[in-house]
Amino acid sequence: MSTFEEFDEKEYGKLTGNILGRLLSLLKPHWKWVVGFLLCIAAVSIIDSYTTFLSSRLIDEGIRAGNRQAIIRIVMIYASMIVFQASSAFGFIYLVGVLAERVRYDLRKRMFNHLQQLSLSYYSQTPVGWIMSRLTSDTERLSDVMTWGILDITWAIINISTAAVFMFIINASLAWIVLILLPLLIVIAIRFRKTILLFYRRSRKMNSKITGAFNEGITGVRVIKALSREEGNLREFSELTDGMYQASFKAAWLSALFLPTVQIISAATLGIILWRGGMQVQIGVMTVGGIQAFVSYITFIMWPIQDMARVYAQMQNAVASAERIFSLIDTEPAVKNRSQTVQTESIQGDIRFENVHFHYEENDPVIKGIDFLVKHGEMVALVGPTGGGKTTIVNLLCRFYEPTQGTIYFKDVDYHTMKLQDIQSRIGMVLQTPHLFTGSISDNIRYGKLSANDQEIEKAAKLAGAHDFIMQFEKGYQQDVGEGGNLLSVGQKQLISIARAILAEPELFIMDEATSSVDTLTESLIQQGIDRLMKDRTSFVIAHRLSTIKRADKIIVIEDGKIEEMGTHRELIIQQGKYYQLYTQQFRQELEAQYDIFNKQEPVEAG
Amino acid sequence: MKYYDIDLKKTLSKKRMVGLLRLMKGYHWLYIGATVALAIATISRTGIYLIIRQFIDDVVLAGNYGTNLIRVILFFIGLSLLQGAFSFVSGWLASKTAESSTRRLRNYLFDHLQRLPYAYHAESKTGELISRATSDVDAINRFYGEQAIGIGRILLMFIVNFIAILQLNTRLALISVIAVPVIVGVSIFFFSKVSKAYEEYQEQEATLSSRLQENLTGVRVVKAFARQGYESYKFDQENWQKFKLGKKLLSIHSLFWPISDIICGAQMLTAFFVGAMMALNQEITVGTYIAFASLVIWIIWPMRGLGRLIVQTSTGMVSYSRVVEILKQDREPLNEGDYLPDGNVNGEIIFKDVCFSYEEDHPVLHEINFVCNPGDVIALLGSTGSGKTSLVNLLPRFYDADSGSITLDGVELTRYPRKYLRSQIGIVEQEPFLFSRSIKENIKYGVLRDVSDEEVIQAAKFAAIHDVLSAFPDGYETLVGERGVTLSGGQKQRVAIARALLKNPSILILDDSTSSVDTETEAQIRAALNKLMQNRTTFIIAHRIQSVMAANLILVFDKGKIVQKGTHEELMKQSGMYREIFDIQTRIEVELEKEISSVNV
Repeated sequence: MSTFEEFDEKEYGKLTGNILGRLLSLLKPHWKWVVGFLLCIAAVSIIDSYTTFLSSRLIDEGIRAGNRQAIIRIVMIYASMIVFQASSAFGFIYLVGVLAERVRYDLRKRMFNHLQQLSLSYYSQTPVGWIMSRLTSDTERLSDVMTWGILDITWAIINISTAAVFMFIINASLAWIVLILLPLLIVIAIRFRKTILLFYRRSRKMNSKITGAFNEGITGVRVIKALSREEGNLREFSELTDGMYQASFKAAWLSALFLPTVQIISAATLGIILWRGGMQVQIGVMTVGGIQAFVSYITFIMWPIQDMARVYAQMQNAVASAERIFSLIDTEPAVKNRSQTVQTESIQGDIRFENVHFHYEENDPVIKGIDFLVKHGEMVALVGPTGGGKTTIVNLLCRFYEPTQGTIYFKDVDYHTMKLQDIQSRIGMVLQTPHLFTGSISDNIRYGKLSANDQEIEKAAKLAGAHDFIMQFEKGYQQDVGEGGNLLSVGQKQLISIARAILAEPELFIMDEATSSVDTLTESLIQQGIDRLMKDRTSFVIAHRLSTIKRADKIIVIEDGKIEEMGTHRELIIQQGKYYQLYTQQFRQELEAQYDIFNKQEPVEAG
Repeated sequence: MKYYDIDLKKTLSKKRMVGLLRLMKGYHWLYIGATVALAIATISRTGIYLIIRQFIDDVVLAGNYGTNLIRVILFFIGLSLLQGAFSFVSGWLASKTAESSTRRLRNYLFDHLQRLPYAYHAESKTGELISRATSDVDAINRFYGEQAIGIGRILLMFIVNFIAILQLNTRLALISVIAVPVIVGVSIFFFSKVSKAYEEYQEQEATLSSRLQENLTGVRVVKAFARQGYESYKFDQENWQKFKLGKKLLSIHSLFWPISDIICGAQMLTAFFVGAMMALNQEITVGTYIAFASLVIWIIWPMRGLGRLIVQTSTGMVSYSRVVEILKQDREPLNEGDYLPDGNVNGEIIFKDVCFSYEEDHPVLHEINFVCNPGDVIALLGSTGSGKTSLVNLLPRFYDADSGSITLDGVELTRYPRKYLRSQIGIVEQEPFLFSRSIKENIKYGVLRDVSDEEVIQAAKFAAIHDVLSAFPDGYETLVGERGVTLSGGQKQRVAIARALLKNPSILILDDSTSSVDTETEAQIRAALNKLMQNRTTFIIAHRIQSVMAANLILVFDKGKIVQKGTHEELMKQSGMYREIFDIQTRIEVELEKEISSVNV
């Protein structure tokens, strides 16, 4: 199967002072919560050790001493401890849990708001999935370690320390034996945990490959059947499941080995302690209750050790997550306002491209020096082959990107000096594959002007020619469009996106004409809608239809990042150059489609 | 069948618990071994406390050191080793069972899915099938590896320790379990509440993710309308909602644990108190009290977790039912058929009165009759939904006809094994599906023998895609799809042509739609197709007159019927759909001429 390895991410990060500082700053606004849960967990932890100590006193002072009162007294203390511990437990679970949610909330909010500021170039270079994992799995991992992780470590350290203190109180020489053993247990535990985590992650990775294989096996089933590839596929798939098996099984049996190993080591220690402790009872240095306390302390020492090891292992992953999250937050928007900006009331007027160059990567120019002037109110058609640079020109015009050389003038003002918001809020755009948002039709049209009332929305829809089909829906304007608008047809989505643009009342209108065909009625509705939009406005159209192209005041043929030809339809036809070729080819295709007595409807891509 | 040793379909049962157990067939002994090992480990641990009792009573308090001390300590260490070793063995066996069963289930499901009839896939949702094959299988894995064995562990602990205490003192034993039903009840109640709250929380997580995804994919719209602030506001609403749901979930947790702490603690302390009093009155020894105090802890506290496991097993059961939905489907018998020729077919195909429908009362093909000689080119012309695709779907037996007969080389199509039949047929679709692997592997995909690189390159050259592929930095090793290059429709089609060339089938099915490519590419594709069609019986789903003119037989479809049939010359002589289409083509050229000259005036 395909190799996904090159996209694997760094799993371990090193905790530097810088990162630690930034991590702590995440908790700073909520420091009261942190102090709260730390106090609660400290109480829980100390009581844990103390009740064991109480049990031993119950034996010595109560049973062995034959003191009924002492038994009652100790049981009462014990009971109050349980109640106190339970209320502390309530405190820490609530505090740390809510804090974890809060840190997640903060992180996501911060990243999302930052993402809104980033330029289009960031999005074209960064896969959506990558960004998504920063806001989901990385955020989870980081916030867990920053809250539950700190809690567990605190609990473990206090638990072991207080247990040590009580052991020393009971019998110092025996306590030393336990203390010497501790580092060994911790080292073993950490090694175990790290290895287990490694295999666990490997198994997760195999799991996502298995999901990918299922996806392909199901979507490509027709080809698989036609080519009788069943056996080969199963063989390849079984390699994945074998890999998954190896990793998961190893992670599972290492986990199963972990606790017994720790237990056997502590049992050996306990053996020594029973032997020496038993002797000491004889000379009166050790009590029976003391032995019982040692048994308990050592038996349960595996829990804090296990927690410490687990958090330690997770910490390194969390740091790697933190690095990725911070790298997202630290990304500077490629396009942003200059330090000095001019006030812009309007961008209406002539638009001039002056020696505009653009490249994403050095040595790979996309736009190679473009000059042209568009008078106010003109309609410009950009034509040419795919990949020639039409979309880039439009993106430059909207200042989604900035030219690497040269500039664009709105009304003789260099657009670099304007505020981004001032430019982009005055542009209306209809994309080739219209993107709608989950919600109602009304919500989607309102996107063009958030303050619009229902009358305005209806008016815009009527102008766009969308009103009639909207009213045919059961819920009219309140009809749900589905995720990404997938409950509507492509033509309907286009009409709604036109209504959206009309509502925005833009000063400059940009349209990427759809290539996919829609039925004739919708097509003419779309045309009418666009006509209304373009009236008295400067507009740029990445044009695919002859009717649109022919109406343009200026046709610019873009090929290979340069202007190949420019002029009106008439001028360019007479010239018999590139445009002439494009035109005749398109003419045949359109008429074929138009005359097609089958009413051919090609499957259209959903946008 | 080496990837799964048994037919899992035969293990299905209406009773989900029975079905789940039968699904691990072949690993039953391992699982039983795991349980036995678990029992030994549990008994050993209980034994440790009983040894400590001896240690206190017979050694320390009796002042009887010497051999007794050594013996007791050796016993202690021996039992600890036993406990450690067997709890490891139990974990090892249980995970072996779980992982082996799931591996087999995954392999089986994958194979099952690709062998289910095409009709099943046409009606199923991909996402739904994938989630059944992945997350639901994971849930079954957890059922074996964690839940079932976890419940076993808690129950064993309870039983063994209870019996041990019973041996020490009956009254003590009864007192230590008074609250156990309460603990289990509270725990089940709580975890079913939690699982609901958790579901809500997870759903909100999904909502939040799709909100995010929508923002990211719609970034151009967001920027075009300068709606960043509004987007942040909308995201924040969902984000805050998730925070609130998380808080709710946490509130339930923060109530349950302290409450259960108090119940368990009260139960434990009661037992301590009664035990201590009995020890004081010398009804039991001090050693007995110490052993009892430890054993009681192992009875009470684990019970809190029982509710979680019990609630989780219901997830495992639901997942099982969902997987069964796939497993119970019947596979397409690929090798079924009594007629298996030695070599390749000639390609003589006769349709006689063939009718076909996907659903009853909605006929898609109606009384189709035609004869196709070996090497013929048959062109199918007609609108979308007129039955062209349905007709070619019958040839590789993706579907079988309802009535009438289709013969290949004089033998009924249904007598050929599907596998053989499909090896004889090549399909080139309009937008072919390519797999996310290298281009080379994609070209070799349909050929089961070893193919040299030269052959691949040869095929690519024939398909007029070699130049495109060599221009990629990684050449033929370039990955296709999400993680590699995105090929255009025309390029994909040519890769599929190369794929078909390597396969070298006797019968070819072409979807001849070369929309949205430039003239030059169209010419290249056409040339490649012509090479591919040589010496093969070819069915072309055509959209243009140019590609059908040379056909030996043109079938014009309308609403599932053949309305005209013949060669181009014959059909031109008749009035009808065919000539209308042809006339349009000529008219277009005339109009173009007119259009251009109108400008020049």
